[in-house]
This record gives sequence, C-alpha cells and structure tokens, in this order.
Amino acid sequence: MLKYLVLLLAVLLPLNSFAVTPEEVMKSSQAAFLYPAKDFKARVVMRLISKSGSERTRELTMLRKNYGEPGGDQKYFMYFYQPADVKNMAFMVYKYPGRDDDRWLFVPALNMVRRIAAQDRRSSFVGSDFTYEDVSGRDIVDDTHEIAREEKLGEADCFVVKSTPKAGDTDYGHKLSWIDKKTFLPLKEEYYDKKGALYKVFTAEEIKDVKGFPTVTKRTMKNLQSGHSTVTTFTKVDYNIGIEDSLFTERYLKQPPGKWIE
Amino acid sequence: MKKFSLVEFSVGRPRLVVAIVVLITLGFLTQFPKIKTDTNPKNMLPPTSDVRVWNDEVDRTFGLYEDTIAVGIVNDDGILNERTLGKILRITDEVLRIDGVAARDVNALPTITNVTAEAGVLKVAPLMAGVPATRAEMGGLRKELTENPLFRGRVISDDGKTTAIYAPLEKGANGKAIADRITEIVKKEGGPERYYIAGDPVARDTFGAEMFKLMAVFAPIAGCIMLVARYLMFKDLFLSVTLMMDAMISIVWSMGLLIALGFPVHIMSSMAPVFLMAIATDSIHIFNEFYFRYREKRDKKAAIIETMKAVGRPVRYTALATAVGFGVLMFMDIVPVKVFGAVVAFGTVALRVLSFSFIPAMFTFVKEKNIEKIAVGEEISAGGSSGFLRGLATAGAHSPKATAVIGLILFGVSVIGISRIVVNNNMVEWFKSNSDIRTADSVLNTALGGTSLGYVVAVSNEDEYIKTPEAMRQIEGLQRHLEKVPVVGKTSSVVDYVKRINRVLHDDDPKYDTIPSSKEEIGQYLFLFSMSAKPSDLDNVVDYPFRKANIWVQLKTWDAQAMRSVLRAVDEYKQENPGTLVFKPAGIAYFNLVWNDEVLWDMLKGFIIALVVIFVILSFNFGSVKWAAIGYTPLLFTILLIYGAVGYMGKDFDMPIAVLSCLSLGMAVDFSIHFISRLRQRLKEAGQTGTPSSESLVNALLWTAARPGKGIMRNAVLFASAFSVMLFAPLTPYITVGAFIVSMMLLSAILTMIYLPAMIVLFRGRLFGGN
Repeated sequence: MLKYLVLLLAVLLPLNSFAVTPEEVMKSSQAAFLYPAKDFKARVVMRLISKSGSERTRELTMLRKNYGEPGGDQKYFMYFYQPADVKNMAFMVYKYPGRDDDRWLFVPALNMVRRIAAQDRRSSFVGSDFTYEDVSGRDIVDDTHEIAREEKLGEADCFVVKSTPKAGDTDYGHKLSWIDKKTFLPLKEEYYDKKGALYKVFTAEEIKDVKGFPTVTKRTMKNLQSGHSTVTTFTKVDYNIGIEDSLFTERYLKQPPGKWIE
Repeated sequence: MKKFSLVEFSVGRPRLVVAIVVLITLGFLTQFPKIKTDTNPKNMLPPTSDVRVWNDEVDRTFGLYEDTIAVGIVNDDGILNERTLGKILRITDEVLRIDGVAARDVNALPTITNVTAEAGVLKVAPLMAGVPATRAEMGGLRKELTENPLFRGRVISDDGKTTAIYAPLEKGANGKAIADRITEIVKKEGGPERYYIAGDPVARDTFGAEMFKLMAVFAPIAGCIMLVARYLMFKDLFLSVTLMMDAMISIVWSMGLLIALGFPVHIMSSMAPVFLMAIATDSIHIFNEFYFRYREKRDKKAAIIETMKAVGRPVRYTALATAVGFGVLMFMDIVPVKVFGAVVAFGTVALRVLSFSFIPAMFTFVKEKNIEKIAVGEEISAGGSSGFLRGLATAGAHSPKATAVIGLILFGVSVIGISRIVVNNNMVEWFKSNSDIRTADSVLNTALGGTSLGYVVAVSNEDEYIKTPEAMRQIEGLQRHLEKVPVVGKTSSVVDYVKRINRVLHDDDPKYDTIPSSKEEIGQYLFLFSMSAKPSDLDNVVDYPFRKANIWVQLKTWDAQAMRSVLRAVDEYKQENPGTLVFKPAGIAYFNLVWNDEVLWDMLKGFIIALVVIFVILSFNFGSVKWAAIGYTPLLFTILLIYGAVGYMGKDFDMPIAVLSCLSLGMAVDFSIHFISRLRQRLKEAGQTGTPSSESLVNALLWTAARPGKGIMRNAVLFASAFSVMLFAPLTPYITVGAFIVSMMLLSAILTMIYLPAMIVLFRGRLFGGN
C-alpha cells in the first residue's frame, strides 16, 4: 500500500515541485523588485515628458526600510530637491499590505506636516505616469495570476504572467508582466484598458548589480493614449545601510538628518 | 459659329449625340462608388490654417481635447438622492467605456478631482467613488458640491437639480456616433430624470449626417416637383423628362469629376446638385421659344435651329455669367469654397454644352403631333400668364417715374435693413428650436456654466512665472472681469486650484480662500495637488515650465460673436491692468469665431467680386456699359431687398445665406440677360435702327414681357415651387435655402418684368442714343 503511495507521490511530485505557480513567480518578483535587503537608498530622478516633448523634473532621495518578510510592511521616506520651489518638501509613507497606507507630507512654506489621505493607489505618483502602486507595489492577492507563456525577451528567459484584478476599481483591465527567470525582476509590463487595448507600457531599461542585488536603475512608463511618458533613473543606490526607525517620524520629516539626504 | 454647327450636328445625328452623352454619363457614374464624404464644417479651414495650428498647439501644451460632449442629467427633485446618484455612477461608468471617449479625462461627479480636509487629513481624490450610503455621507457630498467653486456651474447647478458628465473626445471620433451611444445608455436608466446631450461635436456631426440625408431626400423631391410642373406647362412627358435629364446629367458629370479627382464631398459641394438643378432650369427658355417658333414654321428641324439661333446668345451669356459667378470662388482662400465654385462652374458649362447638343437632339424624337398640340396653347395674346406679364411690363413702361421712385424708397429701406445684418454663425441654431440638440443646449446653458468652451492662454516670458503671486493675481483679475460679460457662464484656472488648496490646508477656513503671498507657497501647493490628482487636472491649466496658464471660459451660447465679446473684455482688462502676461484666445469657441470670419468673409468677398465680374460680362454681352447697368438693376435690387429683409428679421449672415448669395447672382442676372437680349433682337428684327420711338419701344417691351418673359416666369415659378418643399425641412439652413430661393426667384422675375421696362423707357434717349 505504502509502496503504491510512494510511487504515486513520486509521479506527482515532480509536477508539483518543479512547475512554479504564477503566484510564486509574482511573489519572487515582488521580493526581488521591491523588497531586496533590509533597507535601501537611492537618488531618484523622474523626467515627466509630455506628448509634445516638454519636460518636468522630479528629483528626490528615496529611503526604504522593510519590516518583516517580503510582501510585509514597509516604510518610505522621500525628500525632494526638484522642482526648485518644493525643495525641503518631504513625504513619508507607511505601507501595510491589505490596507490603506498612512502618508504624511511636510509643507516647508507653511512649516507644517500634513497627513494625506491614502486614496486610490492607482493615482499618479507626483504627476508622473507611475502610480503609487508602481512605486511601492501591489498586493499579490488582489489579482488572479496565470502564466500566459514563457518566452525570451531580448536575451532573458521570461515568464509572461497575466494578472487580472479581482475587483473592478482599477484603471486597467489586465496586465502582462515579463518576469526574468534568473533575477525575477519585471523587464516589461503591458497594461490593457477595460476595452482590451494596450495603453501603458513599463520597461526596465538598465539593471545593475548593487551589493549582489540586481537593481532596475532606469525604467520608463509610457502612456500610449496620452502620449505622456516618465523616465526614472536611480543613482547612488545602496542596500543594508542601517536606516534607523526614528527617521520615519514627523520630527525628521521636518528636518531630515543630513547624512541621508546629502 | 461653332455652337451653330454643334446644334446642326446634333439635329442631324441625334442618336449618335444621345449615345455619346449616355456613355460619358455612365463613365462618370462609375466614379460614384469611390465617394468620400467630409461632413465636418471645421475642415473648411485646412489643418494648416493658423487657427488650427495654434489650437492644436494649445491642445498639446495643456493636454486638451478639441471637442467635448456634455451629458446633462436633471431631476426636478434634486439629484442628491441615492437613486439618481446611482444612475449617474452607472452612466459615467458606461460612458468611460465608449470608444472614442478619452476615458482618463472624463469629468463627472464620480471622476472629478476633489480636494478636502477631513479631521486634519488632506484628501485629493475623485469626488464620488460610490453612492453615499449614509445620511452623513450624503450631507458631506452636498457640502462639497455647494462650497467648492470648482464644482458649481460645472458638475452641479445652483439649484442642485442638474449635473453633467463631460466626455472629451479623442481626435477623429464621431460626435454623433458617441452621442447616439450615450442616448442608448441613458435610455436604459430611464426617468424621472431627464437627459440632455449637448456640445458642438454633436451638432456638427449630426448636422453633417442630416445634411446628406436631406440632400438625398429633398433634391429628388424638388426634381420631381419640377418634373410635374414642367409637364403641366408643356403637357409633354417626354420633353419634361428631357429637361430633367439635362440637369441630372450635368450633376452626374460634375459630381463624378469631383469624386474622380479625389476630393471629398464637403458640406458645400453636397449642395452643388441643388444649384445645378437651379441653373438647369435656364434651358426652359429653349423650350419656351421652340414652341413659339414651331407654331410659326411648322418644321421641327428648322424650328430647333432657329430657336437656338434666337436664344443661343442669351443662353450662352447666362451660362457664362453663372459659370464666372461661381468660378470666382476658385480664387478664394478656403479650399472647399474653391472646390464648390469649380464644381458648379463646371456643371454650368456642361449644362450649356448639353443645351446645344443633347436637348436639340432629343427634340428630334418628339412626335410632331404632340408639339402641335402644345404649340397651340402658346399663343401670346390668349395665354392668361402672358396677359399678366404684359400687365407688369405695362405698369413699368407706362409709369416709369413712379416705379423708379418706389424703387428708390425700397432701396433706402433695404439698405437700412442690410446695415443691421450681423455676420455670425451658430451651428446649434441650425437646428430647430424644439430639436433635441437645441433643447439640450439651452437646458445646460441655463443650469450650468455653458456648453461652449473658449480658452484664454496667459503667456509670460519666463519659466516658473505663473507660480508667482503677481501672475496669479492677474489671472484671477481677468477671470473676474470676464465673468462680467453676459455670455460668460464660468471661468476656471490654476488660481482656483491654488486658492482651494490654500483654504483646505488651513482647516477649510474661508479666510484663506485667497492667493498665497509667496511663490514657494504656490509652488508647493501645486506640487501637493499634483501628488495625487489626475495629471490632467494640472496639465489642463498650466504648461510644463509654468510659463503659460490656461483660463477656461465657458460660454452660454455657440454664437461666434460670443467669443468676440470675450476678446473685447480681455483687451479692456489688459488696458486697465498692464502686466507682463500676454493673453491669447484659443479653443473651439475661438475657432468658430475665426471660421466665421474667414469662411464667411471669404464668401462675402467672392460674392462682391462676382458682382463686379458679372457686370463686366453684361457689358460685353450688351456691348454697352449703359445697358449692362440697366440689366444689373433687377439683380442688385433683388439682392438688396432680400438682404434688407434678412436684416429686419434679425437673421445672421451665416453659412447657408452666404452660399445662397452666390446662387442669387447666377440666377437673377439670367433673367435680365434674356429680357434685354431678346428685346434688342426684337427691335433689330423689326428693322429699328437708332433710337426707337417711344411707342415702338413700348410695344417691343410688351412683346418681350409676354414671350421670353413667359420663359422667365416659368423658370421662376418652376424653381420656386420645387424649392418651396425645403420650407418643411427639419434643419433651419434648409428652410432658409427654401425661403431664399422661392423669394429670390419670384422677386427677381417680377423685378425684371417691372423695372427693366421702366428703366428702359426712362433712359430711352441715353440707351439708344449712344448706339
């Protein structure tokens, strides 16, 4: 009896253990893309480019600290340099999976910290084509995932995962992600609107290895309908730098310690 | 001489001539399946025209849309209840899914960005993500709607009974198709709410679609009526059909050529068939004369040739005058106006070629017996209509001075009327006042800020300047000044957002509903706003480098003149408040103003040039400037009287009227050419040389009035009766066309009959003395 059972397991096991589920792909991707190391720091430059070619620049330092496992809580601290009139403005987010973020903003002209209601995560991040969700991630359980196909994107072998939101409150109908089988970084994402037409494309254009963590250092989000696009570059990327918990407080929001924002 | 041989050839080899004509016609018919239509009046100005280039630039800079459809939803008990809001939510959701609607920028209660502060938490989010479930939530929504100036007059009326969904259209989307889809959507939701779909694209595309339908319905009806009227006049079906074919063939040729050359059929060129039908009636003079001649000769072939000899010259010259009248349009600036002029000029020439070939050829097929029968009825003295015409001419010829004085008085009265004419175009008013489109427009314009949209772009000469308090104050000042203009319903700009955020950040204290005092503050507020709002919210009102700001001006009427009053107000403001900002108009309302000016003035210019050219042709035809001046009188007089009446009725000089002006020239001058040519021919035939005696002149005049005059009158009546059908059309421009043609035909015929004899008698000495 047991013999048969073992045999049966032996037959089934390879199928179950070696074939990855789409959820696992997305989980690994989330860990590689948004949760590497204990903490993270980068100088972020976003170029917002309109259809006619005019540009706006957002420049900030982004600090992030993980609390718990990949997919768990995170805290973000963003300090702005550009546009010039928002210099010293600082933005702080506590991200919790499964519920709304807490957000605070320091308005230097009023010397005042304001809580900002976390609304739609699909709304634009500082006027760019990236949404808050694109910056800090989307809960994996909010979508149903399937592996549409496996194919090469350039040199990289990829899973192509189709993710369809369970609730109808998103701006897109479904998304296709090309996940690199080696690094699990998303190399490309295609967003389809509810009419089924492709309207937004994310591409990872430059990937660098920093302290052993493959990091997307240049990415573009292009809105095909409005012709608007945003190019984001990360410089001065660093991991495991020992960011203190105390950074993520209203006090430091007003006056961030110089060592983090130089 | 060439023309003569053509007539003789046609009479000699009628079957060959008809066969050739049929073959050519079939050849042109094969082009018809390639037809392309362009019903958008906007395209009267090419995409490279300054205003379109500038408007496109403004649209690109501020991420705007050329066209927006407004869907009004009215509930007499107020829209703030669960049922109505639920409907609004569902309708908005459906509208977002329509192809051609720029979903990302639809503004309605569920999607418009709201900035609030609740318990110290700043919130930038769509106003109504879901229907308020509790009483408190409903109260909150009511408070937002009434207190936020960004919403009042836009998504909520002051009485809370009307809201609107603003659906911007992607480039090239068909407004009518989208409006039809929205109609289906709202039908599903049903009452007691009432729904209104308004906006320039709806009017424009609906008009374009309707126009083609009407052309397809009314042109044949007019044609049929003419056929019946002709049959009643000549009692011969074969000949009536021949006349009809004459018109049809020229229509097929000219439209076929237009299509073959790859031009799209525009609003204007779609009217060409009607015009050609009008011009074709001129060949009635041939028929008219033919029967008289036949009675005298009793030989069909000889009668045909003689007829053509007699009417050949006037027919050729009327054709020339008409062709040139339309031909001058080819030298205008607006492409569709040029094309229209060319098509009609070509058709006119084709008609005349047919008059000298196809018509004589067809005459040979008519049984002599039939002609005999009709010819009996063509006795000058016996005919009742001839008697009436003689009466008219007698009145003119016997009391020329009194006639002239009455004329002068009418002239003066008309000139006063004309001075009241306003050059204006309002496409929404092309629909009847009880039509859906007009109703929707007036409901929305009464309840909300206005469906017509213009922009005033504030341009500075340095980046970031718009964020300064001075710039903000200038813009705000201009907004308040513009809002004093009666046609302006509402204005909005970046200043409204800044003030709103200032207030919200200060715990919703009304004291802070002002422009902050430093550039940093303004910059940070705008940044804060852009952190969560839709990108388009800010993009629509400021450009990327903050060098330009866009002020939205909602107008309560689509009158092209409304934007002119805005421009005037901008100038006033600029004079009183000199600042560094330069204000430039843009948007669809501004486009309509420019369109109005360029297209209509272009046509007016063409009309005036045509007037001059036709005078020159008349001078050539009559070999005398004096006779040309006399022949010109009925034409000028008809035009003056009609435009005088237009002025008194308070009707604007709009596109349909402008188009008709050209027609009036071509037609009205025909009558005098026929009258004077035949009169002089008559005098010559009677052996008169030098100045005729007063008595013989009057006799000749009366003969002319009775015989060729009958042709003139038939021409006029035929045409007037056919076009009176248009008075029952559902679109006002067609009613205008109908009324205009009917009155023009009858007036110019009558004026020709009365004033030509009067003038000729009055100036007998001078007219004949010179010769």
